[in-house]
Amino acid sequence: MQEKKSLWKFGTKQVVYAAIGAALYAVLAYATNMIQLPGAGNVSFRPAVVIPMFFGIAFGPIVGFIAGFVGNILADLLSGYGFWFWWDLGNGLLGLVPGLIYPLIQDYKAGKSILLAELFVVLGSAIGMGVASLSEMWVSGADMNTVIFANFLPSFIPDVINGLVLVPLLMIAYAAITQRSGRS
Amino acid sequence: MLVSWHYKYRGSPMDHIDPRARWIFSFAFLIAATSTWNSAMLAVLFGIAVIWYSLGRTTWKETRRGWTLVLIMLFTMIIVNTIITGGGAGGVVPEGGKLVWPDGVRLFGRLLRPGLTVDRIWFAICQLMRIGGISMFFILIPYTMDSRSYGATFSKLGLPDKLAYTMELAIRFIPSLARNFSITMDAQRARAFELDDVKGGLIRKIGRIAPLLIPVTMNAILSSEDIANAMDLRGFGQRKRTWLFELRYHWWDYALIAFAVLVAAGSLILVHIFKLGAFTVPPFFYQLFH
Repeated sequence: MQEKKSLWKFGTKQVVYAAIGAALYAVLAYATNMIQLPGAGNVSFRPAVVIPMFFGIAFGPIVGFIAGFVGNILADLLSGYGFWFWWDLGNGLLGLVPGLIYPLIQDYKAGKSILLAELFVVLGSAIGMGVASLSEMWVSGADMNTVIFANFLPSFIPDVINGLVLVPLLMIAYAAITQRSGRS
Repeated sequence: MLVSWHYKYRGSPMDHIDPRARWIFSFAFLIAATSTWNSAMLAVLFGIAVIWYSLGRTTWKETRRGWTLVLIMLFTMIIVNTIITGGGAGGVVPEGGKLVWPDGVRLFGRLLRPGLTVDRIWFAICQLMRIGGISMFFILIPYTMDSRSYGATFSKLGLPDKLAYTMELAIRFIPSLARNFSITMDAQRARAFELDDVKGGLIRKIGRIAPLLIPVTMNAILSSEDIANAMDLRGFGQRKRTWLFELRYHWWDYALIAFAVLVAAGSLILVHIFKLGAFTVPPFFYQLFH
């Protein structure tokens, strides 16, 4: 029998999933910083952004938010970049927005679920990176052109591409392990 | 892959300040610095940031990576957007202003008429003080704050226990997940998985991350169920938590918190009541460009 999914539940399981998500995001972001995608030039690609997106979709918006928010704090701490609250918040939203479809998804490998997830991945990236980029107006005194071309687009485009390619793969793999292990 | 935290005990004054007082002061500074474009106020705040940064006793070698990131950001914002194109000055610096080269500049025999104004140069200096000051506060954190203190600190600052514990747990998971990642990468390389020299388009390149990403993520999810069960069996979330990392305020922490309140409240009063937060160019700076 399938357990009823509650959108804002934050019990013991969610604490562990959020912690695992945050740690995974931090480790993968740190690791892919070192690997450097070939041909990417100076553009910083962070495939790890799919972790908060996927954890939001699979375990709910709070888990997605914490995976992104805390994960980004830890990734920056590991890399020695410091602490940038407004970008951490943006990364949190990257996980929270896709997480809003969590109660709607029953079968993670169904075409409809994947399509819905892709839509919310784009929306989440736009809102998350939008909030983080706009905050640069308040913090750094940048104007709208700077925010769009120097902050928003270089972070939004790679995040969307990573999300659109990798989130469906993670969803299909997750569907396989839930079926195999009899989890719901 | 080895994952290590950058913190080490240096016996510096910063090591003796309670992490709660440090967070409070850092956020108070952020509020103060972002509330104003008044150069005198920004200069005072920048001075405070320099003193604060020096208390950490970090070396350039240690913090180089963080500063490189900040310098790239500063370069884009100040040199390109404020000085060359003037974009970053929009909204703060009034239109017009005194041109730096009113008669133009001759370069390789051609007369150029750059629109750079004295006001925009002064704005760039203000931006440097503001971003530089904020960076000094926040770059210092990974090098001078023990990662074991985060959970306890945020809990004592009023964050819900579950949220603080999530952070604590995430920090503890990092070494084992990094090890799993290394093992998976080695295993995939043993199967001739190529990560460094992939041919094809961008999507194909990102897709190549999947054989690494998926096993590590799925393994982590599978093991999390056991951890959650173990925590439930120990009654997690039933009572207020205690923390292994003990935090204790000293008199200097109270003094720092009082100073933090003074800095934040003082700035807000100067900006909103005395209307001193606007951007203005001091007369002496105009005179430098006669």
